[in-house]
Amino acid sequence: MKSIFTRRHLIFAGAAVAAIALLAVCGVFVFRSIARRGPFSAQGISLARQDDWQAFGGTWQYIDGVMQNNSDERGAKLMSGPTHWANYSIEADVLLLGQYGDAGLIIRATDEEEGVDAYHGYMAGLRDLDNTLILGRADYGWREYAAKPVTPRVYAQQWYHVKFLAYGCDFAVSATAPGGETTSVAVEDPDCLSAGRFGLKSYNTGAEWRNVEIRPANRQDLVAMTAANRPPIATPDALPMGAAPGSYDHYFEPIQRDLLAHRADVNSQPISSLRLLSPDVPASVTIHGVVTLTSPVLFVQDPTGGLAITDSHAHAPLQIGDEVEAKGDAELHDFSSRLRNADVRLLWSHTPVLPVAVTAAQAATGAFDAEYVQIEGRLEHKDETPAHTLVLTLDDASQSFLAIVSGAAQVERLRALKEKSRLRLRGVCVVDSRYTRDLTAFALLLPSFNDVDVVEGPPWWSTGHIVAMTIGVLLLALTGLSCYILIERWRMQAVLEERGRLAHEMHDTLAQSFAGLGFQLEAIRDEANEGSNIVPQLELARDMVRSSHEEARRSIAMLRPQALESVGLLQALENFTRHMVNGTSSIAVRVSSEGSERAIPLRISDTLMRIGQEAVANAVRHARPSHLDIALNYLHSAVELVVEDDGCGFSLTSELAGFGISGMHKRADSIGATLTIRTAPDKGTALCVHAPTPPSFLRLFWQRLHIPWRKSSHGSAHR
Amino acid sequence: MHTGMRSLAWGAALRHWTRRAENRLTLPFFLLALLAGAGCKRDPPVIAVIPRTCGTALWEPEHAGAAAVARQRGFEIYWNAPMRDDDTQAQIALIEKSLQRGYAGIIVSPIETLPMRTPIQSILARGVPVVVVGTELGFPPGPKLSYVLSDERAAGEMAARRIGSVLSGKGSIAILGINPQLTSNLDRERSLEVTLAREFPGIQVAVRQFGLSSVPQEQEAAEELLVKGPKVDAIAALSLASTRGVYYALVEFGKAGVIKLVGFDQDLLPPVRTGGIDSVVMQNTYQMGSLAMDLMDRALHGKGTATVLEVPPVLMTRENVDSAQIRQILNMAWWPPR
Repeated sequence: MKSIFTRRHLIFAGAAVAAIALLAVCGVFVFRSIARRGPFSAQGISLARQDDWQAFGGTWQYIDGVMQNNSDERGAKLMSGPTHWANYSIEADVLLLGQYGDAGLIIRATDEEEGVDAYHGYMAGLRDLDNTLILGRADYGWREYAAKPVTPRVYAQQWYHVKFLAYGCDFAVSATAPGGETTSVAVEDPDCLSAGRFGLKSYNTGAEWRNVEIRPANRQDLVAMTAANRPPIATPDALPMGAAPGSYDHYFEPIQRDLLAHRADVNSQPISSLRLLSPDVPASVTIHGVVTLTSPVLFVQDPTGGLAITDSHAHAPLQIGDEVEAKGDAELHDFSSRLRNADVRLLWSHTPVLPVAVTAAQAATGAFDAEYVQIEGRLEHKDETPAHTLVLTLDDASQSFLAIVSGAAQVERLRALKEKSRLRLRGVCVVDSRYTRDLTAFALLLPSFNDVDVVEGPPWWSTGHIVAMTIGVLLLALTGLSCYILIERWRMQAVLEERGRLAHEMHDTLAQSFAGLGFQLEAIRDEANEGSNIVPQLELARDMVRSSHEEARRSIAMLRPQALESVGLLQALENFTRHMVNGTSSIAVRVSSEGSERAIPLRISDTLMRIGQEAVANAVRHARPSHLDIALNYLHSAVELVVEDDGCGFSLTSELAGFGISGMHKRADSIGATLTIRTAPDKGTALCVHAPTPPSFLRLFWQRLHIPWRKSSHGSAHR
Repeated sequence: MHTGMRSLAWGAALRHWTRRAENRLTLPFFLLALLAGAGCKRDPPVIAVIPRTCGTALWEPEHAGAAAVARQRGFEIYWNAPMRDDDTQAQIALIEKSLQRGYAGIIVSPIETLPMRTPIQSILARGVPVVVVGTELGFPPGPKLSYVLSDERAAGEMAARRIGSVLSGKGSIAILGINPQLTSNLDRERSLEVTLAREFPGIQVAVRQFGLSSVPQEQEAAEELLVKGPKVDAIAALSLASTRGVYYALVEFGKAGVIKLVGFDQDLLPPVRTGGIDSVVMQNTYQMGSLAMDLMDRALHGKGTATVLEVPPVLMTRENVDSAQIRQILNMAWWPPR
């Protein structure tokens, strides 16, 4: 088959795609060449907008204009900016918290990950280990291009102003000490990384940054930093620090600082032993422990117990899991001991404390005061204070206790807890009345929302659930009922259709045969001689056929449901009655209705119709009445059909009360109706059918479901 | 001219010019397509190399050794590690990340033996070759799994003989930094003690202490030993952290050089020159990295065999710290030469 695409089409399509691609490439090239000049505006850079910064390791927080990384991880980074910035400078005040690491600024970085040197980019900063200003490149590995001694030297806990600039493949960094002394270094990296983001980085120490500024850079800016000297080609050192001969003195001092920073007092006391101190004699003690809580009060714990440290002075920001040494005044209380005016020194980090699983009854003894524990309880009540503190009241067996968490973010996450839930909480157990309000034996201070687990939701049998279940059951019952009625309706419809078919059959066969027989007998009668013996017999036979024909026609009329479908019940009965008394002018028919008309279920109206027809037929055929009254009364929850005549009546005990009345009773029973017959010889007959109807809301419901209802009003019927 | 004839003439002219354009454009177009196709060359396979941590004198030489071989064989390296050398979970996360990124192979130096078994098994189950560096995991090597180990038995013997030599076969020692979570460390310790007992029966092991995860913890443990423990003439520190921690404690108490410190795993170099650290049993991580990358290359080309290579350790002392052999082991130049 010949393709609809010719070679010409393909050539033109290819040319069009190539043109579009060329335009796109040109667009990107133009955009990048413009963008490479650097940031268009540095106004948008702010440490305060933490959403603009992305952390890779470290524990970063912004306080009073200072971005702080409290972690001594090797290689914590905080990055920002677009990846296409090329020529720009970043400057900031930098302060090292520790004695044995470095901290500084990153420029032209891409593909950052968590890891020591896990990014492509350049870093420059201050290193107090060897007292240098360093500049190098990271490509998931560190290449140190320069390490220049700083004048006068790099001190921890002191602010330095660091400026790091990238222009083309030249990189320059300067560090200005508080005294104004500036140390600079610059290199050229021939195979340089051309663009990338900026950021903050620290290695093996916590650090702080403030006044971060980003500016576009040009050659004049570079010259201003390098004093017009061409930067040397960068040559990384292949050996580790300290490998060069004669470097011991260079490194001994920082080693000395490092070892002194972590030197611990080997004569520290176990925390539990503080309870044995004399309550009257002030005692200065040293303890070692792991931080289990930092706010609202610092808590530390060692293998023997826990302790609250108030009025403490920490040399560095503390984290949960830090091992610290604290020297202070022991203070003894009824159920616990505290340390006051303590000097707290970080020894090392990342020492997780595992909680002790206790019951509320065990915690209530006070034996676990100031210890990190895990307790389960059922949440009874939540109380939130305006100061962003959430107080949970919990029960476990016979003990109630409080769980307290502070901070807007923490409270926000725990607000969704449902009362009556069973919770597992991890926190510091305290018996201090400031927390227990002397209402409970103990309280639990929770470090964060992560220390709350929902073990089991609230019990299912709550008021809401019971209401919901009731509604559900009702809806289910209604649905079942509607299904039942629909099925009943379909069944009734089928019965009616079958009756209609039978009526048609009878009309076409039996009634026609009777009519034919009648004509034939009439013809034989006409042919027979008057006075012949056969004439009376023929007339009797003709009368019998006529009677049978009438009977058949009546049966057909009763079987046909159309009468009831096309008009109301009362109208159908009236039609039937008038048809029955047709030619009998002596019977006066009166039809009446009382009460507010409403729809009657098909099954009930059909049964009433059949009973009414039987009653009317009996009256016309046997009672010889002068009046025949038919009444349909709409009662509150029932409908009543009354057929009354003033005929000869009969005795209910006589044989007349035979099969017909019995059939009417059966029909009435089938719809739960009661049939009452009041009659006596020469007293006429009154027949009353009292049929209950469904409640009104159900009727409304059925009407909404468009289930056809028959109205008894004349000439109207619902389908 | 008749209108119909004019239309036919215009149509013929259009077809003519179109055909000429086709003839002139076809060749350049296909040349362009050919050039574009030639430009789309396949990326080189990436091998993840995940040591216990990085940026240290112990592990950066592995980077350099692996990178040198990778450059020759046309591989790229993804080099990353946990920021602390005791962060097993971070190391497992890096392995999983490497797997998700579809790297061709993984070279890993497990921080701990047991937790690494399941991750390595799951990598192998996916058909990705693995070279384990530094410690055995307990299951045998195969076509997709190789081991490159430092000969820890030789390392233990080396340390024992050095202690025996500096103590002249008499005295008592402490062994610090025992890590029961790492097979290689236990091998060191066993070999050290067996050799001491066999070759230097006059030297008693007075103290044995488990290793802790950081230098300050090791320092504190050593301080306690020096203050409260029995008198020792030498200390064998079985890990990098314990070597540094013990050295700090010795300096603090003025015992550096007095109590002989034989450490393991290269870290602080200046104290070796001064004698504050008597000697360090070095792992030749540069060679381990080279061999690991070579085994990876073989595995990727379907030539992998059940291989366990043992690299001999080297004892660094004041006398040989500036030797070419030591400098080669300390070589951290992972970057391509200019």
